[in-house]
Amino acid sequence: MAPFSFEASVDPIRPDLVEAYRRAWNHIAGPGTWLTGAERVAVADETRRARDCALCRERKEALSPFAVEGDHDHGGGLSEPLVDAVHRVTTDAARLSERWVRGLLEQGTTIERYVETLGVTVLVISIDRFCHAMGLPEEPLPQALSGTPTEEPAQDLVEGEAWVPMQSKERVARALGLPMGQAPYVVRALSLVPAEVEAWQSLSAAQYLSIERMRSFDSPRAIDRSQIELVAGRVSALNECFY
Amino acid sequence: MLRASIAYNGQEADLQGIADGAKAGDQGIVYGEKLTAFADAAVAGDPATLASARDALRDAAGSEALVDAAAVLGNFERMVRIADGTGIPLDEVVHTMSGDFREGLGIDSYRSRREVDAGPLARAFAPVLRRVASLGLGLAGRLTRRSD
Repeated sequence: MAPFSFEASVDPIRPDLVEAYRRAWNHIAGPGTWLTGAERVAVADETRRARDCALCRERKEALSPFAVEGDHDHGGGLSEPLVDAVHRVTTDAARLSERWVRGLLEQGTTIERYVETLGVTVLVISIDRFCHAMGLPEEPLPQALSGTPTEEPAQDLVEGEAWVPMQSKERVARALGLPMGQAPYVVRALSLVPAEVEAWQSLSAAQYLSIERMRSFDSPRAIDRSQIELVAGRVSALNECFY
Repeated sequence: MLRASIAYNGQEADLQGIADGAKAGDQGIVYGEKLTAFADAAVAGDPATLASARDALRDAAGSEALVDAAAVLGNFERMVRIADGTGIPLDEVVHTMSGDFREGLGIDSYRSRREVDAGPLARAFAPVLRRVASLGLGLAGRLTRRSD
């Protein structure tokens, strides 16, 4: 059976959502820019393990998440800093810090591998949360595909605007066809690994709105734009997201 | 974007539901209370509460609306982590246009806050810019609805 058939759903799932989820699963399974397919599927697996991780629960309840030492409940497919990255992004993202990101690099990972890990982690969270909200079972993770990462470095990088280097706003705007040559920070955030920006855009177009549609206040969905933004704003507030 | 979309619909924005959730009621948005209750339940994770909120939204707004709301919810569980995981600041234009309600809703006290300053000119003209934008969006909405 093809992934994301949603046979258990009493509610018809839009075909474009199904297609977007299948694209995301294929994207996760294959070799990326800096991670192998096996590592990317391990990131996806770790994202799900984080929800039941005892250390993450303890840290979440602590006054400072950096005051609690210990080992994550992990699957063994990733290096220690990447396991920590996946677990903290999944369970306590609002309390991440630039110092923590620097610490990951000191432990031997690279900023490119961190950003790609982040990109895969958030894809899985996004899709799993949809299934959870709909009362549907999670889709089994894809089988990793063989092959080597492209290791193609991103161009036109700018440092100092965020914790990670990003491509210039003009470069990202050109790549995505944005008007006035300006890409907002959230669109540029993963641009150190441009393939993750493409995956972000592909999934967002189905789950939220395409970049073209974001500029219009008419909604192509069954809920209107103010209803869409109400859900978006409330979820962001519950996650204490300043952005 | 919420305030802009409400202005586009020709209404005054009450954004308290962002901070208060379902107890703020509909806030002038159709099914607003049920949508926020669904979002709250999905993020909190209690299966029984979520099932109840899901049923209530489906009964009121229909399956298509439920699916769309769940998709938006999933999308923004991702967006917040991208912002928090990369340490991006708020874009200057967003900071300028949202300055009047961020403090009131408690957004400026979030632990993930990263300092941004659009500069003295933007600070000085922000109230005027916000009013002009609101009027412009309301006018655009009226013109669009008239042409439909």
